[in-house]
Amino acid sequence: MSDTKIKQIAPEEAAVFTADHCLSCTSCMSSCPVMEATKEYRGPKLVGPAHSRMHFSQEDEEDSLDFCSNCKSCDRACPSGVAVSTLNMLQRGEYYKTHAHSQRDEMLAHGEKMGKLVHSLPLGATCANIGMRIGKALGIFGLFGLAVERDMPSYAASTFKSLYKNISQKKSDKKVVFFPGCFINDNEPSVGEAMVKVMQVNGYEVLLDDKFCCCGSPMVVTGYIDEAKEHADRNVERILYWKNQGVPVVAACTSCSLMLKKEYEELFNEAKMKQAAANVYDLFEFLDILADKGELNTNFQSVSAKLTYHVPCHLKAQGFGVPAASILRDVPGVTVELADAGCCGMSGNYGFKGDKYDISMKIGEKLFSRIKEQAADSVICDCGTCRLQIRHGTQAKACHPVEILAKAY
Amino acid sequence: MAKTDTIVIGSGLAGLTAAIVSAQKGQNVKLLTYGSGTLSLNSGVIDVLGYDQQHKYVASPRQGIQNLPDNHPYRKIGLQAIADSVSFFLKLTEEQGFPYGGDLDSQLPVPTAVGTLKPTCLAPESLNGSHLVDSHKIVIVTVKGLKDFYGNIIEDNLRKVAALKDKTYELIEFDSGLTGGRDITTLDVARYLDTDAGLAALVALLKPVAQNGVSFVLPQILGTKGDTCHKSLKAQLGSAQVVETTCLPPSVNGLRLQNLLKGAFKQLGGEIVEDCRVLRGIMEGAKCVGVVTQAAARKKSYYATKFILATGGFYSGGLAMREFEKPQETIFGFPVYFVPGEENWSNAELFSDKPQGFALTGIMTDENLRPVDGSGQVVADNVYIVGRNLGGYDFCFEHSGNGVALASAYKAGNM
Repeated sequence: MSDTKIKQIAPEEAAVFTADHCLSCTSCMSSCPVMEATKEYRGPKLVGPAHSRMHFSQEDEEDSLDFCSNCKSCDRACPSGVAVSTLNMLQRGEYYKTHAHSQRDEMLAHGEKMGKLVHSLPLGATCANIGMRIGKALGIFGLFGLAVERDMPSYAASTFKSLYKNISQKKSDKKVVFFPGCFINDNEPSVGEAMVKVMQVNGYEVLLDDKFCCCGSPMVVTGYIDEAKEHADRNVERILYWKNQGVPVVAACTSCSLMLKKEYEELFNEAKMKQAAANVYDLFEFLDILADKGELNTNFQSVSAKLTYHVPCHLKAQGFGVPAASILRDVPGVTVELADAGCCGMSGNYGFKGDKYDISMKIGEKLFSRIKEQAADSVICDCGTCRLQIRHGTQAKACHPVEILAKAY
Repeated sequence: MAKTDTIVIGSGLAGLTAAIVSAQKGQNVKLLTYGSGTLSLNSGVIDVLGYDQQHKYVASPRQGIQNLPDNHPYRKIGLQAIADSVSFFLKLTEEQGFPYGGDLDSQLPVPTAVGTLKPTCLAPESLNGSHLVDSHKIVIVTVKGLKDFYGNIIEDNLRKVAALKDKTYELIEFDSGLTGGRDITTLDVARYLDTDAGLAALVALLKPVAQNGVSFVLPQILGTKGDTCHKSLKAQLGSAQVVETTCLPPSVNGLRLQNLLKGAFKQLGGEIVEDCRVLRGIMEGAKCVGVVTQAAARKKSYYATKFILATGGFYSGGLAMREFEKPQETIFGFPVYFVPGEENWSNAELFSDKPQGFALTGIMTDENLRPVDGSGQVVADNVYIVGRNLGGYDFCFEHSGNGVALASAYKAGNM
C-alpha cells in the first residue's frame, strides 16, 4: 500500500455523519417493512441514527440490529438525507469485529466462492444441485440455520463467463464492461445473454473483466465489513481503469449496481469510490440515457406479454425512476403494470436465514397477493433474489426486464 | 429528450393534491420526491382556518378568510378557489371510498391525544368529535403499552370543555397483545386492527360498555385502510359512537390519506419518482424548462412545460436559513419574504397565544401563485408555489396548514 494518505469524502457529504441530520420524525418507521412484520425490531430511527451516535462514542450493542434487512426503505423515506441503513450496516460490521460469525453467515456471505468451486468441478453444478436437494431433504440446511422452507438457488450448467466466450459479437467502438455479479454469473446467465443481445442491437460491444469480484453486498449485510472493503478496493480499481479508457461499467443486478454506485462511498467514505461510481450504470438506467438522447434502438418487434413489474427496493434507492417500465411499454404487445406492493422481503440473503424466514414471507405477503390479483404472464424484476422470492411465494414466472426487451429485437 | 406536461416537486398534501388535479385534466404528470412526504407526520384532517390573527376562534372559515391581511396566501388564492378546493377534496375522498365530512361554514371539533378539541374544517367520520357533545357517557380507551396517550389527562382536559363538563367518564384499557417487544405505536395497533382477529378483540372489549349515548374515545388505531375498520366497529357496537384522537407520529390518519392520494394519482397514470432530490431549475429567462436532480452517482434532468413547487418549509428543507436574515428557497433560489429584525423573529413563549415571526417566512406570489420579488414582479412564469413554501401565514397559530396546502395545490393544478 502506498503511504499517501487516502483521500476521504468531505465530512459534510459523508454518510457516516448523517446521523446528526435525523430529526426523529418517524418517517422511516412508517416505511420500514421489518417493523411492520415484527415487534422485535426497534426500527430504523432508534437503531440507525440514534444508536449509531451512541455506538461510535462508546461500546454499546443494540440487540435488534440483527433484524435490519438493508432494504433501504428507510433511506428513501428520510426527508433529511440520513443514510439510515448504512449506519446499521456499519454498526453490524463493528459488532462482528469482536464477535464470531455463524457458519450460516459464512456461507451466505461467500456465495461467490461456492459458485467458483462448483463450476470448477466437472459436472459440478449438476452434483451441487442434487446435493442441495438431498441436503434440504435431510434437513441439513436447518442445522446450519438456513431457512428449510426454501430451495437454495440452483446453479446453472454453465456460468455466464463461460457462455460469454461463445457469443460472437459485432465489434464496435462503443463499448461497455458488464459487471454480471454472482447471481447472474452462477445462477441465471440467461440475463447476461439477454443483456449482450440488447447492447449489441444498440451498437455496443460488451466486454467482461475477470478481475471484477463479488460487489460485497452479501458480506456487508452479514457483517464481513473488512472483507467487503477489500472487494470494494479491487472493484473500484477496475472501474477507474475502465473510466480512464472511457468505457462505462454496466450492472444488471440492482443490488450490485447500488453497491458500486452508492454503498461503497457511504460505507467506506473514500473519494475514489465516488469517482468510480460516476462510471457505473444500472442496465436500464443506461438504456434510459440512450433513449433520452434518441439513441435507443426502438425498432421493436411485437412481443405478446402482460407483465407485472416488481420494482426492487435497491433500484428505487438509485433515484432514477423506473425506466424499464416506460421502455417496455413502447414494445408493441407489452403491457406493464407496477406491483407497487413494497419490499418483497427477501432483501439479498436475509430471507435465507432460518430465523428471518417468517418475517421475510410476512413482508412479501402484499406483493404475493398483488401478483396473484394481476395474474400476468410473467413478473419482471431487476433483482435476482427478489425473483427467487417471487417464485417461492407465488409460483409465478419471474424474469429480468431485459429478457423481455431482448425478445423485442 | 422526454418531456412531461407538469412536474410536481414534493409529496406532502400539497404536492400530491397538485399532482392529482393536474392529472385529472388529462396531463402527463411526474411527481419527484425526496423522502416519503410529510403525510405520515400530519393529522390528515384539513384545518382551513381555526383562529384569526388575534387568536380568536373562527366559527366560519369562509368568514374568517375574508378578514385576513392582504399578504396571506388565502387572499391570493381567492375564496372561490378555496371553496372549489373543498368541494374537490370532499368529492375525491368520497370517490376513493374514504369520505371526509365538513364544510367551509363551520368547524368540526377533533379531539387530540391530550383531550383538547381542535377546530378543523374537513375530517373523516372517525375523527369527528361533535358526537361527544351528544353523548352522556365518554369511555376513554387506552392501549396497553402505547405511550403518549393517557386516559386521565384526556379526561381532565375534556372536562374543561363546557359542553363536556358534566358527562360521565370511564377509562378502559385495550390489550392488543402486541407488547413484549419494542415500544408500540398507534401504527402497530392500527395494522393489528386491520386484521379480523384484532377487530374481534376490540369489539369484545367495547361491546359490553357500548350502550346508547356512549361515545368511545380512542387513539388513532382504527386501521390503516381508510374508514374500513371504523365502519365495521360501529356496525358491531350498535348506536354507540367511536371517535379517534389525533396522536403523535407516525400518524395513522395521515397515512390513510397518503394512501388515498397516491392511489388516486396512480389511477390517473401519474408517475412518482422516489429518492429524487431536485437540485436546481433549468431556466431560460423567466421560464423554467427543466429541473436537475441528484440520483445515485449522477445527476438526471427532467423536462416539462409547467412546474409546481411543493417542497415545504424549514422542516422539510424547501426553505432554509443558513445565515440570519438570508432565507433561501433551496431549488430555484426564489425571493423569500421574512420578518426582519431579530426581536421580531421568534416568541420565546412557545405555547402562548402569540404568533411566531419566523413562521411567516416563505415565498410571496401573484394571484396565480407564481413567485414574485419584493416589488411584486413575477420571477418565474411557469412555476407555481404551493403549501408551506408560501410565505405570509403562521399555520400553527391560525390552524390553516392543510387548508393552504389543499387550496393552493388545487389552484396551481388548475392554472
